[in-house]
Amino acid sequence: MVLAKVTEFLTIDPTTIILTLCNTLILFLVLKHFLFDKVNKVIDDRKNEIAESYKNADEAQRKAENLAAEYDEKIGMAKEEGAEIVRAATVKAQNRSDEIIADARAEAKSIVDNANDEIEREKKIAVNQIKDEITELAISAASAVAEKEIGKEDNERLIESFINSVGEQ
Amino acid sequence: MDGIGQGAKVAFTLPIFGGIEITETIVIGWAIIVAVLLICLFLTKGLAKIPTKKRQIVAEMFVGFVNNMVESTMGKKWKHYAPYIATLLVYAIFGALVSLLGLRSMTADFNVPLTWALMTFILITYYKIRSGGVLGYFKGFTSPVFVMLPLNLLSEVATPLSMAFRMFGNISGGAVITALVYGALAAVSRLAHLAFQFSGLEFNALQLFIPAVLSIYFDLFSGCIQAYIFATLTMVYVSSAAEQEQ
Repeated sequence: MVLAKVTEFLTIDPTTIILTLCNTLILFLVLKHFLFDKVNKVIDDRKNEIAESYKNADEAQRKAENLAAEYDEKIGMAKEEGAEIVRAATVKAQNRSDEIIADARAEAKSIVDNANDEIEREKKIAVNQIKDEITELAISAASAVAEKEIGKEDNERLIESFINSVGEQ
Repeated sequence: MDGIGQGAKVAFTLPIFGGIEITETIVIGWAIIVAVLLICLFLTKGLAKIPTKKRQIVAEMFVGFVNNMVESTMGKKWKHYAPYIATLLVYAIFGALVSLLGLRSMTADFNVPLTWALMTFILITYYKIRSGGVLGYFKGFTSPVFVMLPLNLLSEVATPLSMAFRMFGNISGGAVITALVYGALAAVSRLAHLAFQFSGLEFNALQLFIPAVLSIYFDLFSGCIQAYIFATLTMVYVSSAAEQEQ
């Protein structure tokens, strides 16, 4: 160190200036290439990714909102449709039941009518039979009483008119 | 004391062109470049989109700090200047802080701040000519009136000179004061019989803690603040030169 040549305290030395210039440029390149370019790239990548993911999230949210609205609409429609179906079914069932009841009534009425007719007929038959039997009875009784035939036809007519007059009373 | 009022030592002489003397300033500059390169390689090892390592966060903080500084002072379109400003900052801070290792501060050599100031001056001139043309550049010296020509020329030259001398004065002044304090403390130690000799090496008790306190200001604070001032002035001058007469 004792032998080392020492420069002046304040001196302008072109060698030092040129070499410092080179050193500064080298350090500039080192910092730019090994620090700033790399770190800036990472930061930019991250920024882009965050922006991208925000965009995606926004999109997804928008989609979800759309879907929710769509589903709400669909559910509303379905409810309405269901109510409509129930109403239609009710009306149909009502009609059907009315129809069935009317049919049943008609049938019942016809059955009753038939039965009445039947009864009427049976009654007539029964009455005729009774009439016949009575006629027979009366004829046999009369013939037994008179012991004499008036003639069958006359007899029958006579009795008939008698019964009729009885029946009409 | 050795070193007070002396410039940088000649480290070695290159035996070409009749001997080029390489001063310790240059050697320290090379050492700083190697150190910064290693730090950069270490900090940017395994960069990931999602940072998992502390060193990536440190790297991003530094880059973000410089980017922000450049963008807020010069504007968004000057972002490509960030590495250059970072170079000035890093070189000036490391150059001043090598004094903590007992070396001579790189920026205490007038040639170093002068080089940077000249670079700034070249940039200023380049952007002035680019924004106003060659004619506009020379016309600018006669504004607002022709009489102002000498003053304008003077202020143009004063810009880089004041930048160079400001940094040089602060750092070398700090170095001189630190050396003086060491000398004074050695003398006081000897007077107070607190100096001991060990086989030719002198140990002065009073040199133990007191210089450290002064060093915080003269080496750490002064070194960092001068680097910051130099970088800020470069940004302001360059961006204002580019935005003139547009």
